Amino acid sequence: MGLTTQFSKARVPVLFVLAGLALFLPWRTPVIAPVERTVRVVARDFAFTPGTLTVNPGDRVTIELASGDFVHGLHVEGYDVNLTAEPGQPASATFIADRPGTFRIRCSVPCGPLHPFMAGRLRVGPPVAFWRALLLAVLAILVGGLALRHSSRAKTADQGFP
Amino acid sequence: MMRFDLTRVPIVRAIFVARGPQLALQLGAMSGLILVLVAGLLGTPVGSRNPATVLVWIAWWAALIIVAVPFFGRLWCSVCPLPLPGEWLQRGAMLRPRDTGRGLGLRWPRRLRSMWLQNGAFVLVALFSLPVLTQPRLTALLLAGLVLLSIAISMIFERRSFCRYLCPVGGFIALYSQAAPLELRVRDAQVCAGHTTKTCYTGSATGFGCPWMAFPAGLTSNVACGVCLECLRTCPLDNVAINLRPMGADLLDSSRIRLDEAFKSLLLLGSALVYVFVLQGPSSTLRSSAAAVGTAAWLAYVAAFFLIIAVVLPALFLLAITVGRPGTPGWLSPSQGFRRFAPSLVPLGLAAWAAFSVGFLLTNASYILPALSDPLGLGWNLLGSSGMPWAPIGGSLGAWPLVVILLIGLAWSSRRVRAVAEELGGGVRAAIPVWAFSLLVTSVMIWVFVA
Amino acid sequence: MGLRRLTGEHLARLALGLIMLGLPLGLVGAWAVARTAASPTTVHGRVTEDGGWLPGTLRATVGTPLRLRLISDDVQHGFAIGQSDSPAVDLPPGEIVDTTLSFSQSGTYTFYCTRWCGPNHWRMRGVIEVTGGQPAISDAIDPLYLSLGIDIDAPHPALVVPGVRPSAERGEALGTGLPERMRSRQDFVRRSPVEIWQGLRRDPSTTGLSDSQVWDLVAYLWHSTTSIDALSDGQELYAQNCAACHGEDGAGDGVMAPNVAAPVLAGHESGDQPSSPADFTDRSTMLGASSALLQGKILRGGMGTGMPYWGPILTDAQLWALTDYLWTFQFEEAP
Repeated sequence: MGLTTQFSKARVPVLFVLAGLALFLPWRTPVIAPVERTVRVVARDFAFTPGTLTVNPGDRVTIELASGDFVHGLHVEGYDVNLTAEPGQPASATFIADRPGTFRIRCSVPCGPLHPFMAGRLRVGPPVAFWRALLLAVLAILVGGLALRHSSRAKTADQGFP
Repeated sequence: MMRFDLTRVPIVRAIFVARGPQLALQLGAMSGLILVLVAGLLGTPVGSRNPATVLVWIAWWAALIIVAVPFFGRLWCSVCPLPLPGEWLQRGAMLRPRDTGRGLGLRWPRRLRSMWLQNGAFVLVALFSLPVLTQPRLTALLLAGLVLLSIAISMIFERRSFCRYLCPVGGFIALYSQAAPLELRVRDAQVCAGHTTKTCYTGSATGFGCPWMAFPAGLTSNVACGVCLECLRTCPLDNVAINLRPMGADLLDSSRIRLDEAFKSLLLLGSALVYVFVLQGPSSTLRSSAAAVGTAAWLAYVAAFFLIIAVVLPALFLLAITVGRPGTPGWLSPSQGFRRFAPSLVPLGLAAWAAFSVGFLLTNASYILPALSDPLGLGWNLLGSSGMPWAPIGGSLGAWPLVVILLIGLAWSSRRVRAVAEELGGGVRAAIPVWAFSLLVTSVMIWVFVA
Repeated sequence: MGLRRLTGEHLARLALGLIMLGLPLGLVGAWAVARTAASPTTVHGRVTEDGGWLPGTLRATVGTPLRLRLISDDVQHGFAIGQSDSPAVDLPPGEIVDTTLSFSQSGTYTFYCTRWCGPNHWRMRGVIEVTGGQPAISDAIDPLYLSLGIDIDAPHPALVVPGVRPSAERGEALGTGLPERMRSRQDFVRRSPVEIWQGLRRDPSTTGLSDSQVWDLVAYLWHSTTSIDALSDGQELYAQNCAACHGEDGAGDGVMAPNVAAPVLAGHESGDQPSSPADFTDRSTMLGASSALLQGKILRGGMGTGMPYWGPILTDAQLWALTDYLWTFQFEEAP
């Protein structure tokens, strides 16, 4: 219990330090020389194939959108990439993947009922954000479960029921 | 425990007691429902342009999960339009009691007086949700069906039996309203003990008896109270209060939870997990199977859904509870442990639903104004926004807002777990396995959001 | 019983009545008025499997503008009138697009979808019956393949094929000495490349040239009898209408090719003899076909194979531009 009491007293600064570490501690990722990549993404039946594009930071990426059924769009959140394609008329865009992280790819042209859920992912570099978030989750458990004084009153007198 | 009684403020009390303001909101909600029904049945079948799908599943649902339920408890239920036609017919009045009314007024069957029917209704809607969510006709038919059902139930059974025992949304709101900082309770139980007439339940000239078939003096959580404010109007002893209180106060007493409510906590958490994984996850095959209602692939999805919700998650939860058991004095049976730890799943589930809904809202909020501007697909431009393009919000932030919401829920839930473990004499050692369960569930969702 | 209480309840019921009757009446009324209005006519566009254009037949009179409200009910469609200069109109899903058409001559006009909307996109067509005014003077002449008596359904194997891709640029250097009579457009479109090659081979002016050089001459003849504009038009028409089945590179492997080989619409009037889309890169068949044959195929369609008929949609100039473009899958403009 002694540890808990000390934790309670120092909880705010400790919390911030740990959260800051989890969020900003530089993550050692292997440096891979950027290359030119071309990916052909086929949009069909409310799906992008491949659903996950994995590239390295700094890569010069060309996405070619081809459609297998209707007019589809491709929008990469976080990068200003917008394409529209229909069967027989693919479209391409080239960009430098300089921002690491995982970005959603969404269809930008209504293509039927499941259109709002038609999505894929662009992964630039390893999913560091996931590990950071996971660390923060462990921190959240510690914060909730250890560092804060908890009131464990099962009943309170002034609730007014018999 | 700190509580501030809002009804002590005269103007607030006056607004609550007067029927006008509440009726105005109810009529507003009713107008929204009518617009949704007409637009859903007659307007464009394109889900992203029709107010039926856009207003209900993007605007109203987000407002419900992100604002109304966590901060105002069951307040939506006091203005919800679904039961109103049935209730007004049943009462023969829209405002004060008039000694009129129709309907058989039967009591709800004893054996069905639990949350299991609502749990089932929610699962049913969830399994058919992909076509319903995305097609305006189906959304309109679902809502029309619920209205007709509530009218029928109101003509046969007493009071708000539909709301209390059948409404799928009601079950959802009930559980998560426990997190809210708003509650309706009696001021002094002794006053109630001395009052024999119990007009709060039987009704009087100034108001109806509790439509939710609850006994105000017996309210220990927000679950059973729909905040309809009738008891505030009928109580001759001015003993009903609407309190501001710390968030999640209802979760502190884990000894009062029954099995149906405990299972509901797990069911709704599991549903959120499935929704996040199916709708926002990497597998488009899974999504298509969930949408292809009636096919073999959909049946496989249904089977997997039940497997996860009814078998895998409860088994993991029970495992987490029982692992902390050995060596701790005063430990209870698995079933009792299940019920005691279930309230800690409420903030976790609420955060999961909120995160899912925020994500969906940020992506699709730009559909709202165009849909309102041309509600029937006739080429109107009422708000000037008919031509607004789709524009997802906050793309550069990615999914971090969703993660923050999950983390808040996780911290809150962990605190509750620790508290229950302490109550049961188990301490941190008993809490750790349940924390691990919460971490597992949360990390699956974090993985879908950011990985 | 107070008057106040009665009035409150009555006011509430009045408000409810206004909302429950007034709102739906207003909305449904507006909807009904729009639906039954004579003008403008509302045309819904759906993928062919769900009905296509609804209504599929429109009526108009010469001299009276036809006002249309177009709305897509599912995916992105487009609207255009066949053989017309008016630009196509895009139909974003769920949005009303207004357009006005004017007709100076009576007759039957075809309107069609211009954005790919599934394997049966090309079947999404409707007609406008225009009456009144002077009847159009029929200047229709038989398509070239008919007047030449070419059986466009018969196989057309190439008896001779080049070893390398013939180049128009190489042919140009060689072909400046060719007599004028051999360089006419009329001549080029009537004969298959094999026939042209055989004719050139036999001619004394090509005695010193190798077989592949004569092929280069064939390519040169193609290139010199068409124009940059025509090739560019042809490329655009190909991308919009043909590439989905025949492939962006002409190899018959477009994204829709699997659907053509096993047609989607059961019981449709064409589609009982499905086959894969033609491979324009296949020398052994392509070089045995004349431009007239290709133009006829495109014009008339595939008679059960899934190849659409483009007669009502493309003008003569467009058809010939398209056939000129098809030869780029066999010949190089420049190496």
